[in-house]
Amino acid sequence: MASLVRSWIPLLILQSFLVAVAFGSKEAEQFSEALLLKPLPDRKVLAHFHFENRAPPSNSHGRHHHLFPKAISQLVQKFRVKEMELSFTQGRWNHEHWGGFDPLSSMNAKPVGVELWAVFDVPQSQVDTSWKNLTHALSGLFCASINFLESSTSYAAPTWGFGTNSDKLRYGSLPREAVCTENLTPWLKLLPCRDKDGISALMNRPSVYRGFYHSQRLHLSTVESGQEGLGSGIVLEQTLTVVLQPETTSVETNMQPSWSLSSLFGRKVVGSCVLAKSSNVYLQLEGRLGHESKNVDTEIEAHKLWKNADFDLSLKPDRVLRESSGLLFIFDIDKSSDSEPFDLGLNWKLPSKWSCQQAPLQASRFLMGSGNERGAIAILLKATESQEKLPGRELTDGRCTIKANIFQIFPWYIKVYYHTLQIFVDQQQKTDSEVLKKINVSPSTDKVSSGMLEMMLELPCEVKSAAISIEYDKGFLHIDEYPPDANQGFDIPSALISFPSHHASLDFQEELSKSPLLSSFKEKSLVRSYTEVLLVPLTTPDFSMPYNVITITCTIFALYFGSLLNVLRRRIGEEERFLKSQGKKTGGVKQLLLRLTAKIRGRPIEAPSSESPAAESSFLSTKLIFKIILIAGAAAAWQYFSTDK
Amino acid sequence: MEETSDRLNPTTDTSGIAPEFDPKTMRSTKPGLKRLFITTSVLFSFLLGVPFLWKSVEIYRSPLPFHDIDSLSDQIESTPLQFPCNFHAVFVGFESKDPDKLRSQIQDGINQLTHQSSQCGSCNFSISVTVQNQADQCSETLAYNPSMCSYRCGVIKRNEFGVGLDDTVDESLNDVFSGCSENSGKTYSVVVVNKENANGEDEVIKAVVGKRRHAWVVGSGLEESYGDIVARVSEIFVKVFMNGGRDEESIHGEFMPVGSDGKIVLSFSLLNSNPRDWVYDWDFQRIDDALLAPVTKALAPIANISVESQVLYHTPKSSFSSWDEKLQSYIFRTSDLPFFVNSNEWHLDTSAGASGRSKILQFVVYIPSGKECPLLLQLPNGEISKTNGFISPMWGGVIVWNPENCDKDSESPSRNTISPQDLEQIVEIFLGQFRQLFGFKSEAIYTSGLGTYKILPSERGFTEWELDVLSRKHTCFNLHSCSTTLGSLSRLVRSLPRMIIKDEIGEQVKYSLKAAKLAQSNASLGGYSSSASSSREARSLAENAFFHPSIMSVSYFSYEHCFAVYSPFFLPVVAHIVFAALREWKGYRQEKAKYLTWLTRKKTA
Repeated sequence: MASLVRSWIPLLILQSFLVAVAFGSKEAEQFSEALLLKPLPDRKVLAHFHFENRAPPSNSHGRHHHLFPKAISQLVQKFRVKEMELSFTQGRWNHEHWGGFDPLSSMNAKPVGVELWAVFDVPQSQVDTSWKNLTHALSGLFCASINFLESSTSYAAPTWGFGTNSDKLRYGSLPREAVCTENLTPWLKLLPCRDKDGISALMNRPSVYRGFYHSQRLHLSTVESGQEGLGSGIVLEQTLTVVLQPETTSVETNMQPSWSLSSLFGRKVVGSCVLAKSSNVYLQLEGRLGHESKNVDTEIEAHKLWKNADFDLSLKPDRVLRESSGLLFIFDIDKSSDSEPFDLGLNWKLPSKWSCQQAPLQASRFLMGSGNERGAIAILLKATESQEKLPGRELTDGRCTIKANIFQIFPWYIKVYYHTLQIFVDQQQKTDSEVLKKINVSPSTDKVSSGMLEMMLELPCEVKSAAISIEYDKGFLHIDEYPPDANQGFDIPSALISFPSHHASLDFQEELSKSPLLSSFKEKSLVRSYTEVLLVPLTTPDFSMPYNVITITCTIFALYFGSLLNVLRRRIGEEERFLKSQGKKTGGVKQLLLRLTAKIRGRPIEAPSSESPAAESSFLSTKLIFKIILIAGAAAAWQYFSTDK
Repeated sequence: MEETSDRLNPTTDTSGIAPEFDPKTMRSTKPGLKRLFITTSVLFSFLLGVPFLWKSVEIYRSPLPFHDIDSLSDQIESTPLQFPCNFHAVFVGFESKDPDKLRSQIQDGINQLTHQSSQCGSCNFSISVTVQNQADQCSETLAYNPSMCSYRCGVIKRNEFGVGLDDTVDESLNDVFSGCSENSGKTYSVVVVNKENANGEDEVIKAVVGKRRHAWVVGSGLEESYGDIVARVSEIFVKVFMNGGRDEESIHGEFMPVGSDGKIVLSFSLLNSNPRDWVYDWDFQRIDDALLAPVTKALAPIANISVESQVLYHTPKSSFSSWDEKLQSYIFRTSDLPFFVNSNEWHLDTSAGASGRSKILQFVVYIPSGKECPLLLQLPNGEISKTNGFISPMWGGVIVWNPENCDKDSESPSRNTISPQDLEQIVEIFLGQFRQLFGFKSEAIYTSGLGTYKILPSERGFTEWELDVLSRKHTCFNLHSCSTTLGSLSRLVRSLPRMIIKDEIGEQVKYSLKAAKLAQSNASLGGYSSSASSSREARSLAENAFFHPSIMSVSYFSYEHCFAVYSPFFLPVVAHIVFAALREWKGYRQEKAKYLTWLTRKKTA
């Protein structure tokens, strides 16, 4: 099977080639890992894994790699991807309790299922082809049906409503994609340590998938080198956000549950991934700053931060950072080892309550109307409590306003009537010119492309609620366009609500750490939230219907044809005369039948000896009816056996 | 109801025209044709409709040239493809040898070695012999081919030849035989130099095969043992130049590791089985530029080769190794090799860059973890493999590279880069493995029953004559696979009558056959590169046709489906019509018979 190489050709000449070629300043590929833990107000714990892999500008991308995954690099090279984000999500982000105005939620709260968007660096005419090829490549890479985004009915090209302004942007989402471990494994394969070592070793599949929310995200962007003749660098950011419920033994209901890494995940960190440049664990506590004094220079006061009356941590943090709304404990896991695993725990001593910062408006979406013909979609924006405190209010013509972008894709079978768009602010209908600042509509084409709606609302700051409704007709699909489980209904992808004048960022009072996770939090990110996925029931046909129709019409035709032919052919007079001569010989059974038919027809029973032509003709028609029944029965039996296999 | 009609008779007609009129057997009027006409016309209109119906349910099948496909495969089976080769033997320092006699002897020797059977991809050779005597006078066989280059008499000096490095000798021979036209096949030459036995020592006969298409045999006293020399010359021609020095039993020519689109991706992976012990990295970019680029360039006529590399971590092997006290190392045996490659943990990844049907060859450098270091491969004879590597045909090769110091000195893993010298060694082993994957030997010596031949290695990995052999074998392999693919396509198509065959498939088959024909004719004319490229095209077109996506659309429209849809209508209706037509026809005949009997009765009366 395998043959051995016993000796090699001594290629002495080769040595001459090995004169070191100076490559100038050569940056190496860098990998870093981080884990952010955050207790949530509703007694849950958020764990956010963050991995960043940077490939410096080079010309050998897609060919020679050390840490950076070759597959991703080849993808970027082949499809000329400038920026791309792919997310797999199960569960819905709870904006009310888990936050809506921090970088974590604005970047990692994703719609259910698969969401993919990509910006390409190709001429405008080739963008669609690149997108289609990319979906297929990703589909193979991540074991998911991303290739369904290939069809032009499933993706859209947002212009400004998505937040990234580019005419080479494509966006698509698959709300029904089931996300499970077969998507996580290929995602982990892109990490140099996979889940063998370092922080990712915590990803115990049962505990990760038992969570309330689970979103795995892959974001890559190319960085132009700026140098002539040098390719661009690639930054690959992989995050996994899970919301877990710690098991609690405490009976007090208002007490926050205590947890540790091993109780959350069932595993411990036994060391960092040796290939990572930095590997840190962060613990973010919100709403703790109010109690503490402003300067914590002394050791004792620093100690107070992590071991105090409210709670204590099982490990001493390496550093403590303060940001505007809370504390951030930083732990370095390099020191941990097999004998001394890193098992961070948080133990609450006193009941504690705090709330998360929320987006200015909270969005929800629902369906109105009933029946299988038409309906309406409504998006409801409700003001949150924290609205007044937020920055980002703008003064337009002396009025304080909040801007909100709504981006929505409609599948073509949801035939939206854009003229029925109604906007209510505080339950009062407003005209378009009052609140609608910008709108962009691209109507759908049947079976060709999906519809897209982008609008920018400008609402007064003191708004309590705003509602948008739009009516639609349900379309009819061709029989082979239905998915296998057609009766479940059809999903309308989530709408994206973003607030262009609000940006979330964590503002650390101390100097910026070198950690990629913190620097990504420091960057201003657009506040956005996704609405629910809507399930629209469409009229589902009986899929055996074509066969039923065929058999029934065919039988009717056959009956009609046969009887017509009989009418044309038969000599009634002759047959009657013949029967007259035969009448006396009719047997008992026939007479019985005769009586029976006569009874059915409601005619008086005629004497069996009677030779009236009427009786004879009735007998004849009985025979005919009998035959018809026979044929119909045969046809029905045939149909039964041919269709019910 | 036929019995009804024969007993019935028109009552009005029995008005006693003739006393012998029997109403049961006779009738006086002509039987009517209306009903018969109606039923038969309906029946006929149905029958006329059948071809239309048939046409409407017919599926589209592009006509495939079955006959041509069969004849191509027959041709390839029966007459193996042969390339013209010119063998030129130069005997220097031989007295009184008739070149024609030598030629026929060489011819006999070659025939003996090839067993008269012609293998696919072998040579259709022509031999020419030049004899230069000690006074530098030449006699030649009549050249068969006028375009063949002739040896200029006296250029090779008997006593000065073969002095110095073999490489320089090779270069000088290239100058001697330069100016050969390559129009009709390649010319291979063997120079036999009979040296003066100056110091009376029994000098060993030295046989060297150069980097280009030349070989030389140098020795003294060759004239006496010239029968042996002739046998060696023919052996060089057949075993080396024609067959590439490969054993018949080694990897068969059918396993040519070239994708059907003519591409090979060499994927190099450095596997750190446990990065907690040590992490090794390499500068593969430089290796690629310096060492691999000449090889890929040399192989360009045969395949389009691209090179990739990656470093992977946490990749343990899946076989076990055991500690050997004597060797002070861990060993794994050849019996463990099938389990060495750990397909669960080694995510070598099929490259996204390799689109379509490119062939990916994996070359893996495995760095053992601290628990199994040093790791050595023990051969079945108990020796330790010098290369510490193995190949798996059509998959690639594995090299186990042990770090210099297996002791883990510190707690934290050490980060190292493989030194250029080590890397160079690895590349050497790789080149040997690569040659083996193509069926060549990795040794620089070819041994046969008559003696050993030194083979000069090329810095490009493959010598020119080896590339010739590859190109011949490649053309042959491509044509063979083209014909088998087309053969299976035609068998498939013929076995499934309800399969839709699009025009594209038909066209691809047509063009593939055309390219195969072209490759065959180019090969017979000696165009190595042109026949290789057209054979590659023929193969890729044949594979495209076979793997066309539309070929799967067979099962959705079967006869059963057709029957189920049409039978509810046609079964009852056709039964009605046929029976009615039959009855009417029968009735009409009876009535007509009655009428005829009545007529005859009337006549006789």
